Amino acid sequence: MRSMLYLIFLLPVLGYSQPNCNVFLWEGDTLKYKACQFAEEHARDYYQFDMRQVKLWEEAIAICPRFAFPYREIAAPYVKSGNFIEWKKYIDKAVELAPMDYLSVRASLRYKFFADYQGTLADIALLEELMQGNDIGPTSNGTYHLNTVKGLCLKALGEPEQAIEVMERQLNKENHFISVYDYLHLGVLYLEEGAADKAIELLLKQEAENDLAENRYYIALAYQQLNKEEAYRENIQKALDLYQAGDRMKDSYNELFDQIYLTDIEREMERIK
Amino acid sequence: MKVTFFALTVFFLVSCQTTKKVEPAPPYLDGILFDPKLDADTFALCDGDEFTIQYFNNSKGLEYEGGKPAIVEAFEKNYVLPKGRTNSGLIRIRFVVNCKGEAGRFRLIGMDEAYQEQAFPKEITDQLLSITKSLKGWQPKVLRGQTRDYYQYLIFKIKNGAIIKILP
Repeated sequence: MRSMLYLIFLLPVLGYSQPNCNVFLWEGDTLKYKACQFAEEHARDYYQFDMRQVKLWEEAIAICPRFAFPYREIAAPYVKSGNFIEWKKYIDKAVELAPMDYLSVRASLRYKFFADYQGTLADIALLEELMQGNDIGPTSNGTYHLNTVKGLCLKALGEPEQAIEVMERQLNKENHFISVYDYLHLGVLYLEEGAADKAIELLLKQEAENDLAENRYYIALAYQQLNKEEAYRENIQKALDLYQAGDRMKDSYNELFDQIYLTDIEREMERIK
Repeated sequence: MKVTFFALTVFFLVSCQTTKKVEPAPPYLDGILFDPKLDADTFALCDGDEFTIQYFNNSKGLEYEGGKPAIVEAFEKNYVLPKGRTNSGLIRIRFVVNCKGEAGRFRLIGMDEAYQEQAFPKEITDQLLSITKSLKGWQPKVLRGQTRDYYQYLIFKIKNGAIIKILP
């Protein structure tokens, strides 16, 4: 339920987020205001991969090269096509011009699309500095809080203890919105560190929030560590059922941390035959 | 007069047959048009270049028989670590999968760890291209009930010549 509320809360963030042009007018920056108005007027003329749309963003840049938004809009299709070189040129320019708006976007994308964990950690560190102790907020697609991403990147870089510390701290914050996979990732971290009881505690919370093939699979592995054969079998079977029903981790673009495949479950099923 | 007319007609017909159709500029960002120097004649799109979608457009991400583990396995089995190579960075191979699940029009770019363009040695890129071309499990993509041609890519994270991760 809390996950649902979180998603509803984030809907405006997940959707189109055009800057408020009037802000530039109040600041007396009429050129940026003009570019912003042009961008607003033509934001939806064509599909984002259509070169005619790219040309429109370039026109907005020509009106005011200090306006960050169109750089980010050109970067978006490049990241989706996996073009790391062009994406980085444009997103860097957006970050240079408006770090408060686009650092979190760059941080969110470099680990997700390019497995650049160190780059994401560096961007999060910069963002923390800019935010001066205030909340650094969620990823650009709203799936995670950026501190959860920090934990995942630390894990990928072989720092599981630090990862657990960062993720625990975030989860324990009073104002933290539980996202769809928070308990799962932390549970898997504990499991990989050999703390099966703690892993089960978290994975059961995941089960209550959002029951998926993945958390049943890892619960099974945790029970296996504890030599609880029956619970292991039950959960592997449940993992298979959920997987086949389509209740599993999903992302349109990338493989997610701790995502499993049918072959993973089948391998376990073979062992228990 | 008759001879002249006949000669002109023949000339016109021959011209029509040999005049190469000029391809329009790619309508899509990062689009891959047919290049006779690089691409096999045997690979054809079902619906033409302007209707090629992206791999994520149907929200199902990478669709391959056996899932991503089958792709990873193909590279684990067939990629041979080149000796003495210290190259690191990312290599992207982008290509088109047609509505029959056949892949073609492979294009490769590389970067170093600072996102700067980098040419990797052929011992690395030739292997990656060859293994990618040998993958036969691509699933046709269905969008709004129609089977479509689509762009797909694989990114290889390389550390000292070894593949340490495959994306997406």
